[in-house]
Amino acid sequence: MSGGFNEIHPEPTTFWSKYIISFDHKVIAKQFLWYGIFFLGLGGMMALLIRWTLAYPGVPFPVIGNILFPDSAGIVPPDSYAMLFTMHGTIMIFYAITPILIGAFGNYCIPLMIGARDMAFPMLNMLSFWFAFLSGVVLLISLGLPLGAAAGGWTSYPTLSTLIGQPGLGQTLWSLAIFLFGISSTMGAVNYVTTVITLRAPGMGYFDMPLTIWGLWLTAILNAIFVPVLGAGVILLMLDRVFGTTFFLAGASATAGNGDPVLFQHVFWIFGHPEVYILILPAWGIVSDLLSFFSRKPAFGAKATALAMTAVTILSTLVYGHHMFTTQMSPLLTQSFMTLTMTISIPSAIFFANWLGTIWKGSIRFDSPMLFSLGVVFVFGLGGLTGLHLGTVTTDLYLHDTYFVVGHFHYTMAASVLLGGFAGIYFWFPKMFGKMMNEMMAKIHFWGTMIGLNGVFFGMLMVGYGGMHRRIYNPFIYESLQRLIPINTFITLSAIMMGAFQIVFVINFFYSLKKGPKASQNPWEVGTLEWTIPSPPVHHNYDVIPVVKCGPHELGNPNLKNGRDFQYQTEELVQG
Amino acid sequence: MNWFTLSMPPKDISTNGHLIDGLWNYTTALCIFYFVLVCIGLFGFSFLYSRKRNKTPYYTYGNKKQHIIATAVIGAAVFLTIDLNITRMASNDLLKTFWAYPDPKVEKVLRVEVMAQQWMWSFRYAGADGEFATGDDVVTNNDLRIPQGTKVLFHLTSKDVIHSFFVPNVRLKIDTIPGRVTRIWWDANVPGTYDIACAEMCGNPHYLMKAQLTVYTEEDFQKWMKTSEQIAQNTNDPENKNLAWGWKWEI
Repeated sequence: MSGGFNEIHPEPTTFWSKYIISFDHKVIAKQFLWYGIFFLGLGGMMALLIRWTLAYPGVPFPVIGNILFPDSAGIVPPDSYAMLFTMHGTIMIFYAITPILIGAFGNYCIPLMIGARDMAFPMLNMLSFWFAFLSGVVLLISLGLPLGAAAGGWTSYPTLSTLIGQPGLGQTLWSLAIFLFGISSTMGAVNYVTTVITLRAPGMGYFDMPLTIWGLWLTAILNAIFVPVLGAGVILLMLDRVFGTTFFLAGASATAGNGDPVLFQHVFWIFGHPEVYILILPAWGIVSDLLSFFSRKPAFGAKATALAMTAVTILSTLVYGHHMFTTQMSPLLTQSFMTLTMTISIPSAIFFANWLGTIWKGSIRFDSPMLFSLGVVFVFGLGGLTGLHLGTVTTDLYLHDTYFVVGHFHYTMAASVLLGGFAGIYFWFPKMFGKMMNEMMAKIHFWGTMIGLNGVFFGMLMVGYGGMHRRIYNPFIYESLQRLIPINTFITLSAIMMGAFQIVFVINFFYSLKKGPKASQNPWEVGTLEWTIPSPPVHHNYDVIPVVKCGPHELGNPNLKNGRDFQYQTEELVQG
Repeated sequence: MNWFTLSMPPKDISTNGHLIDGLWNYTTALCIFYFVLVCIGLFGFSFLYSRKRNKTPYYTYGNKKQHIIATAVIGAAVFLTIDLNITRMASNDLLKTFWAYPDPKVEKVLRVEVMAQQWMWSFRYAGADGEFATGDDVVTNNDLRIPQGTKVLFHLTSKDVIHSFFVPNVRLKIDTIPGRVTRIWWDANVPGTYDIACAEMCGNPHYLMKAQLTVYTEEDFQKWMKTSEQIAQNTNDPENKNLAWGWKWEI
C-alpha cells in the first residue's frame, strides 16, 4: 500500500513551476481539462461543418464559411470535407475525450479518491501532458499545410493512407501526432496502474475503491497494453510513407509491394476495439458511483459491477475482428469474433441491472450530475443494443460503413462518454475549483444536450438503415438516397441546437469559475475520501494519510445517529 | 411519406436478402424489448423514488440471494435470447447462403470479375470463349448488367486503394482489396436499374464512385450479351492497357 514515496513534496513557488511544468496531479488534471475542452470545441465546430454539408450540399456555410473556404465561396469543398471528418474523428477520440475523461478525471480523481498525496510518478505525469501538448501542436500544424491535413478517415486504412492516396505531409504528421499521443497515453497509463496498486490508503482493498477508480484503472491497463500496438502500426505507416517500405502495399499495378493492406486493419483494430472501452470505462465508473451517491443508497451489486467491468475489459481484447467482417476473413474467424462479441452483452446486462438496482427504492436527488448519469444509462442503452446489429455478421454485411455504424458508435463513444464527462465535471467542479456551478444553467444544458444528441444520433441510425453510407460528400447524387434529405436536415438542425446549448455550459463554467458561490468541503454529502479535505485541496492533498474503514457507497444506513445520512470512508461502519 | 417509411432500406430484389432483413427485424424487436425494460426502470424508478416521494432509501448492497438471482436471470435471458439465437441464425445464413459460393461447374452461374479503382468500377464477363483474360472478354465500366433469376458470382479486386462493393438492394457488400481477390454472390429477381456504391472511403471523390446495376429478363440479357460479345470480338484492342486487367478465373 502506501510505499516510501508518498511523502509531502515542497509546494512550488514560481508561476512556471506551479502552472506550467507542474508535477502536481491537480494542476495537470486542469491542464488536461483546458486542453480537452479546447479540442472538444474545435472538433464540435468540424462536426457542424460536416453536418451542414450533408443537409445543404452546395450551400455556403453561414458566417464563417467565406473565411474558411474563400476559394469556393464559402461552400465546403470535397477535399476539405474529407479532411474535416478525418480530423473530427481523430480530434474527438484522441484530443477531446481521452484528455477529459482519462487525463483530467484520471489525474484528479485517482490520488484524491484513494487517499494519496500525488501520483506514483509525478514527473512522468508532467511529461505525459507535455507530450500530449506537442502532439496537439503537430496535429494543428498539419491543418495549415498546403496539401491539407490527413483525409483518409480517422482509421487511415492503407493503401489510401500511403502516398498513393494521401500525398503531402498531412498524413505523415497525423501518424507522428498519433505516435506522440501514444507516448503520452502510455506514460499516463503506467502511472495510473502503479498509483492504484501501490498508493491506496491503508485499509483500502480493491473492492473499497470507488467504481470511478475501477473504471480508470481498467482503462489504464488497456491503454498500457494496446496503445503501443497502435504506435507500432503508425510507425510502420510512416516508414511506408517516408522511407519507401511496403508493409501495407500489395497488388500488381499502382500499389505493387509484398505487404498487405489488411495487416494494418488488424493492427489498428486490435488497438481500436479496446480503445472504445478505454473511452467508455471511466464514464461507466463515474456513472456507477454517481447513481449511488444521488440515490442516497449503496451501489447495487458494486462488486458485480466491478467484476463485470473487468470481464468487459478482457472480452474487449478478443473481439476486434467484428470491424473487419467485410474484408472476408475465414468463416471460422468470422464466427468466432461474432460469438465473442455477443458475449459482451452479458456483462453489459449486469451493468444495467445494477444501475437500475441502484436507483430502485432510492431517495433520488435530481441534481445536474445525477441527470447526466441517468442520461448515460439511456443513451448507452441505445448505443449498446444497436451494437447487436453490427456484431452479427450477416446484418453487418448490409450495415457496415453506413450511417448506422456512425449512429451506433456516436451513441456509445460520443453521447455516453460526453454525458458521463459532463456528469463528472458538474460533480467534481466544486472540489477542483472551490466554486459551485449554476444548477439552473446545468439543467438547461442537460436537456438541450440530451434532446439534441438523440435527434442527431437516432437520425443517423435511421438514414443508415435506409442505406446511406458514410464519408460521402454529397449523398444525394444517389437517387435512392434523395428520400433521406428531410431526415438529414433534421439531424443537422438537431446538431446545431446541441451545439448552441454547449454555449450555456461554457458560460456556466467560466462564470462559475470567477463568480460562483464558494463550495463547501462536501457539497454533495458523500463519503469518498476526496470530500474529507477542503475544496480545493491543499497542495499535498492530505495532511495525514487517511485510514479507510468502510466502502465508498455508505449512504442511507438506518443505523446512523449523527444526523448525516452518509458516512465517510474514514469512519468505522455503523452496525445495527 | 412519414420518416419511418422513408428510412426503410431500398427494395429487396434478391432471393436471400430477406434473411438479412429478417434477422434485422428479430434483433430490433429484441432491442426494443430490452430497451423498453430499461426505460421502465429508468423513468419508473425516477418517478417513484424521487426524494419527494421516497424519503427513506432502502439500505441494501444488492447482495441478497433474491438480488443475485434477479441479476443472474437478466444476464441469462440476454444470453439465451440474444447471444445464442442471433449467433446461430447468422452463422447458418453465412455458411449456408452468403458465403456458400455456387460452383459454376455444376450449376448455371454467371461469372463476373470486378476491378475497383479510383474512382470507378470495371466489370468483365468471360465473353464468347468462356475464358477470362482473353481478347474477347466483354468489359464495361460503371455498368453491371445481369439476367434475372441467375446466380451471379463475383471475384473482386482493387487496383489502388481499398474500396467496398455495396449493392443496397441485395443487402450485401464486400471489400475490394489490392493484392487479394474477394468473392461474393447473389441473384436478383426484379428487373430494373439499381445503385451500386463504393462504401469504403477511397479518396476525396469517394462519393462519385457509383455504378449502375441493370437486371434484365433472361431474353433481354442474352440479346445484350450477344451484341456485346460481337462488339468485343470486333473492336477489343489487345494493346489497350485499360482492358488488360483481367485474370484467369480460379476458385
